[in-house]
Amino acid sequence: MTKLVNRKMTFNTKYRQLLEFVVEAIIRISGYSAVVFVGLIFLFLMQESLPTFGEIQARDLWSQRWYPIENYFGVLPLLSGSLIITLGAALIAIPFGLMTAIFIAEIAPLWLREILKPLVEILGGVPSVVLGFLGITVLAPLVREELYLPTGLTAFTGAVLLAGMAIPTIVSVAEDALDAVPKAYRDAALALGATRWQTIWRVTLPAARSGVLTATMLGIGRAIGETMTVMMVTGNAPQMVSGLGSLFISLRTMTATIAAEMGEVANGSLHYHVLFSIGLILFLISLTVNIAASAVLFRARKRTERLLS
Amino acid sequence: MSDEITFQIEQLNFYYGNTQALRDVTLTVLPREITALIGPSGCGKSTFLRCLNRMNDTITDTRISGSIVLNGQNIYAPNIDETELRRQVGLVFQRPNPFPQSIFDNVAFGPRVLGIAYGNDLQELVVQSLRAAALWDEIKEDLKQPALSLSLGQQQRLCIARVLAVTPDVILMDEPCSALDPIATNQIEELIQELKEHYTIVIVTHNMQQAARVSDKTGFFWLGELIEFDETTTIFTRPSLQQTEDYVTGRFG
Repeated sequence: MTKLVNRKMTFNTKYRQLLEFVVEAIIRISGYSAVVFVGLIFLFLMQESLPTFGEIQARDLWSQRWYPIENYFGVLPLLSGSLIITLGAALIAIPFGLMTAIFIAEIAPLWLREILKPLVEILGGVPSVVLGFLGITVLAPLVREELYLPTGLTAFTGAVLLAGMAIPTIVSVAEDALDAVPKAYRDAALALGATRWQTIWRVTLPAARSGVLTATMLGIGRAIGETMTVMMVTGNAPQMVSGLGSLFISLRTMTATIAAEMGEVANGSLHYHVLFSIGLILFLISLTVNIAASAVLFRARKRTERLLS
Repeated sequence: MSDEITFQIEQLNFYYGNTQALRDVTLTVLPREITALIGPSGCGKSTFLRCLNRMNDTITDTRISGSIVLNGQNIYAPNIDETELRRQVGLVFQRPNPFPQSIFDNVAFGPRVLGIAYGNDLQELVVQSLRAAALWDEIKEDLKQPALSLSLGQQQRLCIARVLAVTPDVILMDEPCSALDPIATNQIEELIQELKEHYTIVIVTHNMQQAARVSDKTGFFWLGELIEFDETTTIFTRPSLQQTEDYVTGRFG
């Protein structure tokens, strides 16, 4: 036995220490780089958008008319357009996505679950421009004819498609959360005479609530940042939103505005800086959504730690 | 009352897929008695217990034959409402499994889903159940505290209170003390003795002394068969089979 063991320990140890150092350094740099990139993006956005405020008043930015050629840079129509389309998408995607997740996690037999879960994840990978095509050729005419509208390119059409994009995210994350609920809870509920639905509603869902909340946040985050689909189907008219009825007129979102106008704007002009300001607003919104989501998760984890200690 | 029969199990066979877990089990459970089921791991005693309130229905690819009659009614008959059956036949699990909710909500869960008590009646039912499970004095100051902040022994008594709240006739216990320390085990055993006054109890245990201490009847399972069933004192002093004697005296298993 002893003959098999390499006794040249000094070389071996030094080599291993070097390897350890290199690997650790690479991992450390990768980890920090994510933070650095976010910081750099934020700085760049700030740098490009701040000149806006030297040239026009915040009041002009916070107004209701977007008509850059005549120097009207009111972002309210775009902001409200983004928000109402996201709201519409959330109203469709959250109930539908959660019900799908419940079906896959709790009700579907094993073989069906093994088909559905990957299918939903493939759906999540469909490029948004393909969904936009579907929207223009199928959904928009349908909306126009069924709802007797002058055009099918409305906020509602965009909301439906965005819901379609948010649902896979919601289903996937929520299903994981439901699946992680210990079987012992379900057994306890069933053994007390609860029906399957009562078990889901009163035990499984509450036990998975932090994961379910994260799922909806991520879904909403996906919807508000989406560009291509909404640009293709919402009609792109920067009209002011005046209630839920505005879902059925053409609107324009912040993302679509940046995508449509950035290509033809003079570098360094006021219009250019305003577009960056819109980007900054988007960045802040998605940052807020993400911070809210992790705050919820953090609180849940704190509670668990307290209970288990 | 004394000759009234609670459970009458005849020729019970149970299969997981192609594996037979129970063979021709025949057994009668008398009311207000404690029936202990002992035997080495994997001998089918837990499977048998879970047949009694149809919890095995939640596992796919299982098959059952034979009959289990509860108070004159075959519980595997097609017209049986299994949620009502599970109210009548409560189950206490091996590991304490309170819901991640408050103590009150845990005990109130059963009455709420079954719609059997509301408002002040529900409050009173929860208090009575906690008293009956010998937990009330320890937690009466704060019913709103999370159930998972209790000790394991308290959690198991909470699970028993949760079962009591749906007013069962029979309580099944699947190794209720195996996750607990000796003091908590002792408390549960005392509780089982008290519960015997009002309930019929079937308990699966790995602990020979526990079976000898708490039960009236003892059944010995061996490879899916109930090979000996008798008064507990008989099983532990002069069993008729050599295997039983070897097992209860600790020579194997």
